[in-house]
Amino acid sequence: MATDTDTDLLVGGEPETDRDRTGNAVVNWMENLSEAAYAYLLLLPAFALLALIAFYPLIATFVTSLREDQTRGGEPLGGFVGLDNYVDILTGNARLARQFIDVGLTGSFPFFEFGTPFLQQALFVTIGFAIISVFFETVIGFGQAYVLDQEFRGRRWVRVAIILPWAVPIVIQGMIFFLLFQPEVGFGTELGQWLGIFGPNPLADSQDAFIIILVADIWKSSAFMALLILAGLQSVDRSLYDVARVAGASPWQRFKRITLPLVLPALLVAMLFRTMDAMRVYGLIESSVGCTTVPSLTCLVVEAMFGGTRIYATAAAVAFATAVVIGLIISVYVVFFRDAEGGLY
Amino acid sequence: MSDRHRTDGGETRTDVLTESHEAELDRGPFQRWVDDSIKNPQKVYRAMFYVAAIFFLVTTLFPFYWLLMVALTPEGQLQDIIFTPNGFNPGAFVEVFQTIPFHWYVFNSFVIATASTIVVLIIGSLAGYAFGRLEFPGKVPLLLLVLVISFFPPAAFFIPLNDLFNTSFFFLEPITGDGTLYNTPGAMVLPLSAIFMPLAIFILTTFYSQIPEGLEDAARVEGTTRLGALFRVIIPLSAPGVATAGVLTFIAVYNEFFFSFLMTDGQPESWAPLLEGIIAYQGQYEVLYHLMAAASIIGVIPVAILVIVAQEKIVSGLTAGALKE
Repeated sequence: MATDTDTDLLVGGEPETDRDRTGNAVVNWMENLSEAAYAYLLLLPAFALLALIAFYPLIATFVTSLREDQTRGGEPLGGFVGLDNYVDILTGNARLARQFIDVGLTGSFPFFEFGTPFLQQALFVTIGFAIISVFFETVIGFGQAYVLDQEFRGRRWVRVAIILPWAVPIVIQGMIFFLLFQPEVGFGTELGQWLGIFGPNPLADSQDAFIIILVADIWKSSAFMALLILAGLQSVDRSLYDVARVAGASPWQRFKRITLPLVLPALLVAMLFRTMDAMRVYGLIESSVGCTTVPSLTCLVVEAMFGGTRIYATAAAVAFATAVVIGLIISVYVVFFRDAEGGLY
Repeated sequence: MSDRHRTDGGETRTDVLTESHEAELDRGPFQRWVDDSIKNPQKVYRAMFYVAAIFFLVTTLFPFYWLLMVALTPEGQLQDIIFTPNGFNPGAFVEVFQTIPFHWYVFNSFVIATASTIVVLIIGSLAGYAFGRLEFPGKVPLLLLVLVISFFPPAAFFIPLNDLFNTSFFFLEPITGDGTLYNTPGAMVLPLSAIFMPLAIFILTTFYSQIPEGLEDAARVEGTTRLGALFRVIIPLSAPGVATAGVLTFIAVYNEFFFSFLMTDGQPESWAPLLEGIIAYQGQYEVLYHLMAAASIIGVIPVAILVIVAQEKIVSGLTAGALKE
């Protein structure tokens, strides 16, 4: 008890109460906090780490994005220019190899025109990629999770096999699909041409390469969805199904009324993070078809930042513009979260 | 017993005829019956299940099989590979270790991923408990603030973090020598923990919030402390969620593309991760695809073992479900 009194003094000597169950002053102090104070205490380590490693660098990068590019001289950045970099990005005038967005308004139908082809504009490439890949990954991931949720012999190995693509390093994922569609090495090009979807050199054609990236991403990331949905399915109380069956619910009704609502929170988290990941796709493109053929938003950021042209301010502005785009798309989910029964809020 | 099952089976068969699409999606309730109903006319369900399982197995495993064929093809003969390698050179799996100390890179990645996963699970659990089970002012804005981190491309963090990790701190000097974090595991564990923290916090928040109040209250009445209730009641009951968050974090860190590439000088002694090892086979004049393929097959093995171990926890939710009210 001697040590207890010592620590008591250190933490401010909270008087002993009937909640003194453990004899440890720190624990007692925690026991007596209000719910809100206890919540902030628990959040402290997470926010301390995030403040140092995430928020501080982001603020620094934001400040950079408000300054001028300085391509010559000793200083990497010029003076303060406000939102000029953002204006340049949105009007297609930035010093980038490929534009963030390049759409002009015209007087006649359909009232806009593309300055560069659709699939050469980072914004459209990225949003298209995110929507299509997340849709297929959700459907396939749900199917995989359903298979993995069953009892059958060898289930453990099937589970490992289905999750394995998620374990492949992105460089290797890129390499597999690069070689598969490399006309001399793999058979993917011939298969695609036989199906009538590929031109002569798919790795160099924006549209064909876009499809290759989609297939590669769906192959790898469906496993992410499957794993999270499986965890959700595993938390569903099995007796609910028995009750539903006795009550005469059809399989579809059981899915709609029991499985879906109970899996929805996990499913939404999975889709939310998959969408954000897909919107930031970079490594896969860089290691397979290349950022020239399929320019994603993150491709622009990385090329501007590390491309040797010293346009750091533009790079920072593109990074923040990317975050704003993702934020707008995610706000759709947040609204959905709010309405979802059993959701987070 | 058998009579009852036959009627069940009859019903489901009509279900299958009219609603085959739904039948494919919903097999939960019949999981219980599977063991004792093999002889039943549930074979329709069963057959569809096997078709789906085999389809998923083939589509997920084929690229691995193809990768193995690339690994077995001798250097310089890489062309027209469909189902068989162009030649046979299992020596690639030995050559991988002779060219560079690949095992060292795997070890580095393993340590970095393990450390990050532990950090993320502990800190994320505390935060997930607060977000999932406690009421406090500012909850939603704080949760969104966590989410905002995931909006940014990793490059957005890089330059300020690089400056930070190359700054000398006197309190680090006894540990790292020159006082900087560059070329230490910390230079990857810290940023990767922070970057994958939002996902873990969201997963854990979701799963912790689903545990019924009554179970925690019961533990509290029994005399468990607040933290004790989290670690002895909430976390064990959320085992599927915790195991999933752990596996996803481990794999994400193990395979991370961006920081792995930039936070060390690429030498195995400097804690360079797996990715640097694989990229080391990309020579200046030629890319040793067969070695990259062999190396990545070896690199996937630790993750496969982890999944085998963790999946027991992921399905342990069966019992957790039974414990719910």
